Amino acid sequence: MNEKPTADPRIRANRYSVMTLEWPLVSGGLREWLEAQCAKAPLLMREIAVVLKPAEAHSDSEIIEAVEIIGNLGIGLIGLTGNESHKPLADRLELSWISSKNVTAVDDILEQGSQQMAMIVEGPIRSGVQIYAKDRDLIVFGQVSEGAEIMADGHVMIYGRVRGRIAAGVSGRHDAEIFCQTFEPELLSIAGIYVGYEQIPEGFWSATVRIRLDSSSNALIYTTL
Amino acid sequence: MATVVTVTSGKGGVGKTTSSAALAAGLAQAGHKTVVIDFDVGLRNLDLIMGVERRVVFDFVNVIQGEATLNQALISDKRIENLFILAASQTKDKDALTEDGVEKIIEDLEAMGFEYIVCDSPAGIERGATMALHFADHAVIVTNPEVSSVRDSDRILGILQSKSKRAKEGGKVIEHLLITRYDPSRVEKGEMLSMDDVCDILAVKLIGLIPESKAVLKASNTGVPVIMDTESDAGVAYSDAVARFLGEERPLKFLKPKKQGLLQRMLGGND
Repeated sequence: MNEKPTADPRIRANRYSVMTLEWPLVSGGLREWLEAQCAKAPLLMREIAVVLKPAEAHSDSEIIEAVEIIGNLGIGLIGLTGNESHKPLADRLELSWISSKNVTAVDDILEQGSQQMAMIVEGPIRSGVQIYAKDRDLIVFGQVSEGAEIMADGHVMIYGRVRGRIAAGVSGRHDAEIFCQTFEPELLSIAGIYVGYEQIPEGFWSATVRIRLDSSSNALIYTTL
Repeated sequence: MATVVTVTSGKGGVGKTTSSAALAAGLAQAGHKTVVIDFDVGLRNLDLIMGVERRVVFDFVNVIQGEATLNQALISDKRIENLFILAASQTKDKDALTEDGVEKIIEDLEAMGFEYIVCDSPAGIERGATMALHFADHAVIVTNPEVSSVRDSDRILGILQSKSKRAKEGGKVIEHLLITRYDPSRVEKGEMLSMDDVCDILAVKLIGLIPESKAVLKASNTGVPVIMDTESDAGVAYSDAVARFLGEERPLKFLKPKKQGLLQRMLGGND
């Protein structure tokens, strides 16, 4: 009951090795060369992921032809790279455009991740609406209706009346807390420890409340503010 | 610019169609060219409430599917100038409503000089209801003073502010609350939620409080929008609601139970 049986999907930065097929403008036939490679190492050529890097001066029709050749040989082409002028073609061919800029963008996101600001949402949060602040705190300004769910991996703060469900530390942080201006929830949870409204001790209903989790006893601790 | 006003509630039977008819009639009486559209495809009712059921030749779906022009399908009200009705189809189902089709009709109505387009939403949160609220600029949320109606209204408000065109473009649909079938004597006995309770739960600006009234049933059965019954309590309350919708300040009426005479009480009258 207290442990979540399933894990939620999430986005993580991982690095995979991808081969770049460099294709200079003046070169021997691409088809012949590739066929030779496939003959040498057929399994390897069919298992690797390849990004095609044509020369800047290659025309669109030449590239389309090359993509077709690669496809016919069963090589897993995942995108184009090289000069930006070929980007629209990649879109047309429904291939990914891999640029060196993309790589820095991923790094930026990773660095921001460690210092993400709290998510701020303006209420009223209506019945049936779910809000989840991933990897950060959640601040709700306004009321949360019965049947609404507000969740965060960090702390949850509500400046208003809560009649819905609150969950802090959703992915397991025991130090997550809940702060609530007018406390009338259906259900609340910190790090997977759930409490229904009937289990809320007397004297806290409708009050301004701070709730934290005592990890040793796995019980929620309430304080009025 | 035409203003699209969607009348919605989530729950059925709370008075959406009665309110749509009253609102449209009231806006037209105030001099605004108004059309009221029935989005309840398959279960049309608005034509009955407006008393035009025998004049429906082409409907909303016919226009969407290009089988009739808007001019052919619009029914002009014989009692109120500036008031037009676009009936729903009784034979099709709600899948006949397409976003592009509805958008085209709204644009065409705008081009015809309509100032207010009142959309009478069906109950529920399925296609008919989402189509009716998709193009809304304003939404009138019709609620009865009881918990299930209030919760459904809350739900529909959430959908409105996430799925409507305005919301998707980063704006906000303007919300108005209309409480219907209000019975102050039952509120005093604690059998019904009070106006304050409802406003507190929904946190939406109240534009009208319509008392439970025999005039509403009579109006529906005779096909006369209840707002035209200026003698009735419900008619007066709807007139006030329309005035508030148009920005006028008016005090709320019918907050206290009617005083009953001794004889009436002895006979058990509860009018």
